[in-house]
Amino acid sequence: MAFQLAYLWSVLPKLVAASLINLQLALLIALIALVAATLLTIVRVMKIRAINMSINLVISLVRGTPLLIQIFICYYVLPSIGLDLSPIQAGVLAISINSTIFIAETMRGSLQTIDPGQIEAATALGLARGPIWHRVILPQLFRQILPMLVNEMTVIVKGTALLSVITVIDVLRTAQQIASASFRPFETLIGAAIVFLFINTVFIVLGSALEHRLAGRGA
Amino acid sequence: MAFDPHLIVEYAPLLGEGLWMTLRIVVAAFIVGYALGLIVALVSLLPGRLPRAGVALYGTILRGVPFIIVLFCVYYGLPFAGIRLPAFVVGTLALAIFNSAYYAEIIRAAIVALPRGQFESARAVGMSPAQAMWHIIGPQILRSLVPPSTNMTLTMIKESSVLSSITVGELTYQGLVMQGNTYAPIECFVAVGGIYWGVCAVVSWLSVRLERRVGLAQAAQINRNRLAASFLSFERPRS
Repeated sequence: MAFQLAYLWSVLPKLVAASLINLQLALLIALIALVAATLLTIVRVMKIRAINMSINLVISLVRGTPLLIQIFICYYVLPSIGLDLSPIQAGVLAISINSTIFIAETMRGSLQTIDPGQIEAATALGLARGPIWHRVILPQLFRQILPMLVNEMTVIVKGTALLSVITVIDVLRTAQQIASASFRPFETLIGAAIVFLFINTVFIVLGSALEHRLAGRGA
Repeated sequence: MAFDPHLIVEYAPLLGEGLWMTLRIVVAAFIVGYALGLIVALVSLLPGRLPRAGVALYGTILRGVPFIIVLFCVYYGLPFAGIRLPAFVVGTLALAIFNSAYYAEIIRAAIVALPRGQFESARAVGMSPAQAMWHIIGPQILRSLVPPSTNMTLTMIKESSVLSSITVGELTYQGLVMQGNTYAPIECFVAVGGIYWGVCAVVSWLSVRLERRVGLAQAAQINRNRLAASFLSFERPRS
């Protein structure tokens, strides 16, 4: 069997159409994870012992288990304790939790590089806790972790491919459906790889453009 | 639905078999991946623009595509090229290829980070090339390889769960078999998740010990530097 470029070309439109699901889910997950990670970071800084200990336990569990298992847990285990989720909902929940934990860990590391003198100065100027966070700390934090966020975005996009395992009709599942009818799995999957590569390259390019802009404006 | 620990005991042999397969795959993929990564890193250090650009493209492709798709491409690509291998070999290969891009970056960074002229200095004080590599260059490269390699290994252990989708009988696959037989998702995934968590905990504990071992000399060096820095500055040293 020879590699048929023409066949690969013919399936690309279908795969690109299916990739809208991956793209939408990835953007939704990224938004949820960013907000949740920020809230989690703010809560952790309050240093309430019982809460921080439980957060640390969750972090350890999430970091120590595969994303695929987390997806299975949301999809198979939650319904049996009375929480019925559609495959898409279960998938979004699982990847969001996973991503939240990794972003929150980066935020914690980045937080330690912020000079405590700034917070003292802000307090001396009469800023309350809320404004200190959203005017002093968070802008610096986001700028600092931007490269990691871009990377995490690509991780999320790649994570959405795993949702095909729990029957979400995404790029990969569409590719598998096409391949099972045409018996040309190799070309079809190369097509799927190209679609993912394209999406992630766009995110990386946009991310580094944003980094350059922010770097030009700051400091 | 009550949690039934007996189910886990009953399926412990099956899950143990899966764990054994996961561990063998990870160790093999680590070795093959590192070898590939070393080759790629050395190619990227060749003179001229072309090798670097080629290696950069290799890394971009592998980093931009989900592992599950790389896996399927290898799974369907090998028979396409007339090569037929058992699923677990295909999975190990895919894992090794996928991670080789990351290993290459780690190795490259470790080599580039070395201060230039150390090798020449070692030769100048009368060491043979082998002695220079063994006493001067090797330990430093090893030291900077350990922490990122640990991270990659933990990622690889977790990624190996994806091999279940090409019917490799590793831990996740056996967990799904158990789930299919028992219809007890809680017990299955608590057990499987717990085992993965335990393996990751053991690996990170081992790596901390290894880091301490290879890093002892370096830690002493850092302390000395800090002492020197605080002596030279007018600030109080931070305790």
